[in-house]
Amino acid sequence: MIHRPVAADGWRAAVGEALAEGWRFAGLHATREDATPALLTVLTRGSDALVLRCRAPERRVASLVDLVPAAAWDEREAHDLHGWSLPGHDPLRPLVDHDVPADAWTAPLVGRDAYRVAVGPIHAGVIESGHFRFAVVGERVLHIDVRLFHKHRGLEAAAEGHRHTEAIRYAQRACAADAVTNAVAYAQACEAATGLVAVPAVARARTLLLELERLYNHVNDISAICAGVGFAAGTMLFTALKERAQRLNAALTGHRFLFDAVQVGGSRLELDAQAVGAARAELDALRAEVARGRRELAFAGSLQERMVGIGRVSAGEVVMLGGVGPSARAAGVAIDARTASPQLAYDGFAPAAPTVPTGDVAARFELRGIELGATFELLDRLLDAPLAPAACVGGAAGDGLGVAVVESPRGQSLCVVELDGDRVGRLHLRTGSYANWPLVALAGRDALLPDFPLVNKSFELCYACVDR
Amino acid sequence: MTAEQALAGALQLAGLGVAPLAAGLVQTLKGRLQGRRGPGPLQPYRELRRLWRKSTVAPELAGPVYRLAPAVVVASTALALLVVPIGGQAPDWGLGHDALVLVGLLAAGRFAIGLATWDTGSGFALMGASRDLTFAVFVEGALLLVIVLAALAAGGSTDLTTMAAAAAGADVWREPAHWCAAVAFALVALAETGRQPVDNPDTHLELTMVHEGAVLEYAGREQAGLQWAAATRLWIVLMLGVALFVPKADGFGVQLAVTAVAIPTLCAAVALTETVLAKMRILRVPLFLGGGAALCLIGLATLLATGPA
Repeated sequence: MIHRPVAADGWRAAVGEALAEGWRFAGLHATREDATPALLTVLTRGSDALVLRCRAPERRVASLVDLVPAAAWDEREAHDLHGWSLPGHDPLRPLVDHDVPADAWTAPLVGRDAYRVAVGPIHAGVIESGHFRFAVVGERVLHIDVRLFHKHRGLEAAAEGHRHTEAIRYAQRACAADAVTNAVAYAQACEAATGLVAVPAVARARTLLLELERLYNHVNDISAICAGVGFAAGTMLFTALKERAQRLNAALTGHRFLFDAVQVGGSRLELDAQAVGAARAELDALRAEVARGRRELAFAGSLQERMVGIGRVSAGEVVMLGGVGPSARAAGVAIDARTASPQLAYDGFAPAAPTVPTGDVAARFELRGIELGATFELLDRLLDAPLAPAACVGGAAGDGLGVAVVESPRGQSLCVVELDGDRVGRLHLRTGSYANWPLVALAGRDALLPDFPLVNKSFELCYACVDR
Repeated sequence: MTAEQALAGALQLAGLGVAPLAAGLVQTLKGRLQGRRGPGPLQPYRELRRLWRKSTVAPELAGPVYRLAPAVVVASTALALLVVPIGGQAPDWGLGHDALVLVGLLAAGRFAIGLATWDTGSGFALMGASRDLTFAVFVEGALLLVIVLAALAAGGSTDLTTMAAAAAGADVWREPAHWCAAVAFALVALAETGRQPVDNPDTHLELTMVHEGAVLEYAGREQAGLQWAAATRLWIVLMLGVALFVPKADGFGVQLAVTAVAIPTLCAAVALTETVLAKMRILRVPLFLGGGAALCLIGLATLLATGPA
């Protein structure tokens, strides 16, 4: 990891230079209660990370948003939560600050027969809080303004001051569905900050947990897509499979969402030969059921017809907005943090690709099925021997700053940890959901209004991920 | 009034209370078909009881049109129920038994709800009503064609008792036109009763709602009335289907027995359709109903080619 201070007037030039050198934007955040406030941009290239730190006592620095459109939400958050002003980001619409009139955060709408439909933040089902404003003509969507950040929990601030080995629970609770990913990212960031390296046994345990998480999430997402078009047979089939996957999680780790299975500095996961054997047998059965279910859905014409050509995003748009995970891969952008995770057991991993990377609902649906196949392969390999607790070993000395990127079922999750002795000084988490939300708004454009739930479910992002 | 007519009249009135059972049966069967335990067939009654006990709240902007609409819907649905004969018989309620009266009564309910959504101007309600009324243009057109076909077989009378009598026996099924009308009716029935693949009566996805969207603002007893009316609408359409398009022998007793078997069978068919078919893209619905209408025109062409039986 390279950690480089940058002067405020050289901020744009430094980021521009890094991008030209092939670094990819991974996240931007502001420090909290600091004597000299700073903005940090994290970029990655393969498994390497570059942290650019810009100190600016006045909390004022030129915006990067024209160089990196993907940094738009990060900058708006830095403005709303930490008081940064970012000349060049115009209009700088409020993102987290909700105490503003609607005009301040929505795109202006003019024209005959164009009107707005507002949905949420309270929905008619068990759905998290999200407010969507659709600008429509008839049933055709022109533009979507998304307003999330309804339940800010202050998790990142709450983690500060805790021993870094204990503060993992704050990273984990950011999102239940990606709990393992965020916990592993946090653990790896802490280990990088303290100069620890994961031994193969730790890497194997964490990879196993990550893939178990992907399994139940991808199965759930297929079920959600079916629910989006009212195809109850598919919804119920894959919901039942998700339940089986979660029961397997409980059998292996004692928790259906795999909570508290990841530790900083090692792994306490212990599975004897019998447990491993039983898990493999159950996974074999699940794999056959998933394959059967996928075949059934492939021949369900009324379902397939709904997905093709809907909610399309191009590869260029994905790259521009910094899309990650299955949604990016479905559009033909072959990025997957699993290809660059030397601390995990993903040797020789290649990103999945749909038959034709159309970037529509059908491609995202197909990709999840393909990835499930790879996940079953990995799980089978990872469970070929019992698992014993293990501890990380010392490597190169850490300087108190740690960065880690781990692939969740929704895309890469970035965790940045700054330690103050053995206490957490600053924790920042930027999950795959956070990265992909702007893409959802874009994908819903041009769709018909009643198709939006389907588009949204084909991403199946987490709302809580923004309410850290 | 004959004894048969009196019995048919009593059964028609019983329909006012039994109608939610058919909707409940569809729900139960759907649950079973989807691998769920599902609600029992009496669930709609529990829903009605729950809603009946709740207080009624109305949007601030609600005017008399909004408040009257549920009553209009309930009344028109109840009257529509009395128009449809049972076992080919029905007493004279003073309404006649004309199929066009039935179409008009069903449309009146929809129109009242459409007006009510304009009254409050609520976004979701207007969206639902505009979809509902758009579909109605196609539903009513196709339904009229179905009735024209069935009426031609009955010697040109649109009186439902005459049409039901003409539809009994085996002869009518020798006409290709009757087959066309039967299939078209099945398509129209799914749309008219707000069933998948046209509308999803169980949806909680606000943006996809059609009928549920239009009546979203109502609460308490008003909502209970509207739910009863939706269930009764299903009952009426099922009864109409049995009267005109379920093969049966002549004779009141036989027809009653056939009705008793046909209603649960048709409920099962609806449940199966809703399980195996996803909801179609909204702009496909006119095409779907247009297909029904085209089928009717084909039937009409065969009638013209061969001459009425």
